[in-house]
Amino acid sequence: MDKREQSTAPAKPIPVVNTWAQPFWDAAREECLIIQKCSECGKHVFYPRIACPHCSADSLEWVEASGKGTVYSYTVVESNAPSSFLQDMPYVVAVIRLEEGVQMLSNVIGCNPHDVECDMPVEVAFEELDDEFTLPKFKPAAA
Amino acid sequence: MSNLRGNVAIVGIGEVPTGRFAEQGAISFALESARMAIADAGMNKDDIDYVIPTGALFSGPFSTELVTGRIVEELGLRNVRKNIQVFSGGSSSSNALQIAGALVYAGLARNVLFVHADKLGTGVTSQGGIDLFSTAGISSEWEVPYGQHYSTVAALATTRYKYETGCTDEQLSAVCVSNRKWAELNPNAFFRKPLTIDEVMASKMLSTPLRAKHSNMLFDGGGAFIVTSADRARDLPNKPVYILGESGVVSHFVYSQEPDLTRFGWAQAGREAFEEARLTPQDIDVAEIYDSYPIYQLLTFEEIGLCERGAAGEIFLSGDTCPGGRIPTTTDGGMLSKGHIGAGGSVSLLIEATRQLMGKAGERQVPDARFAVETATGGTYFDAQVTILGTEIP
Repeated sequence: MDKREQSTAPAKPIPVVNTWAQPFWDAAREECLIIQKCSECGKHVFYPRIACPHCSADSLEWVEASGKGTVYSYTVVESNAPSSFLQDMPYVVAVIRLEEGVQMLSNVIGCNPHDVECDMPVEVAFEELDDEFTLPKFKPAAA
Repeated sequence: MSNLRGNVAIVGIGEVPTGRFAEQGAISFALESARMAIADAGMNKDDIDYVIPTGALFSGPFSTELVTGRIVEELGLRNVRKNIQVFSGGSSSSNALQIAGALVYAGLARNVLFVHADKLGTGVTSQGGIDLFSTAGISSEWEVPYGQHYSTVAALATTRYKYETGCTDEQLSAVCVSNRKWAELNPNAFFRKPLTIDEVMASKMLSTPLRAKHSNMLFDGGGAFIVTSADRARDLPNKPVYILGESGVVSHFVYSQEPDLTRFGWAQAGREAFEEARLTPQDIDVAEIYDSYPIYQLLTFEEIGLCERGAAGEIFLSGDTCPGGRIPTTTDGGMLSKGHIGAGGSVSLLIEATRQLMGKAGERQVPDARFAVETATGGTYFDAQVTILGTEIP
């Protein structure tokens, strides 16, 4: 990619936040991964909902997640990325299964992209997007 | 079990070639397809009393024109009581067919015209297409910020499927070759030159393990079909193609919330559709399997029962799904070779299933095809829709 293309790369998309998910993003900015837990049925919930998607109870509470999980699946983006991600290639997009039993999409960072494997243990690592948003990402778990 | 089984039929189809037609407006694809379908059904334009346009992705304003009656006015359809959109992205074909069938069965409509047109080949730029599909149907809060787009969506399923079943890159590539062999025989397909597994495996890596030739490409195109009652269908020129069974499962919105990226809801949808049809997967003569990427064609083929889990790759490699093979599959070339035209990807497959059953598929006609299955899915594979069609009512 030449310099001109780089300089015109569009800004990264920031999360379009639903009001009830604001605590998640506030916590992420403080480098803390929180998810919801239903005090009726006891199940963990991600992404944030207005009511429990398992039992419909209106009793979701925020709890801190361990930040540990495994890579359910992954891919290394080598070409044809969306405009604002072209400069990041190669980058890893992965579905992470957290210990609490919920899944989330993220990026695996802090290693050679081609070293990522299915079921590999990972832990949360935070990456600042701008002054307002910090994205929870994942890196290989410490041995 | 629904009341539609054997009581409603597709009686006419129309389709324009898939390609790049910069000089034509998308409306021309809609109008030409609709006129062909009406003529094919042996009907007069004023026999149509209900129009169902589906959505177009390349342009919101164009989509709105179809919602607000443009097809009815342009074609001068004088007896239309309702013009409503049925749109669920790539599964619009199955969903619109069910709605059309239900309206006819309930006596709310006599002859329903369904129309699709889109202009993703020349109505958006190449990078614009990638950018469009990095937001359309992808969660703006939970996935867009991580660089998710349709190549990564398909690659995530492919990686896990390979990991669990041992499927090889050669087997994935064989899906592309099988679809291409059909497209070579389809005048409406865009890619009609022979393709080899080596060529697929030498193409540019997009998102591992997905290569450029594992990916669909976006084009302009359109299609239409007409649904009426089984009773009226018997007086029309085409062999009636009855709805025998259909079912679906809506399993996620945010892709990463899908509990099993190697299965989705296909097994349940397939089981219910076949039960309703009183058929088994072994009775199927033609399988029109949604194929925007090879992974979906493989796992859907397995999950609806056309073979055991993990066996599809070998079947595609063996040539069994190709012209002259044991299980003719995705016989119009699919999105991988006919070309991806938005919601029309599965409309093409539904039209092709109908064409095969009517015995009008020309060079690629499957001999004595009586029963067909069509599958469709929208967005980031948020649903699994299975439709069984036939010229006999078992």
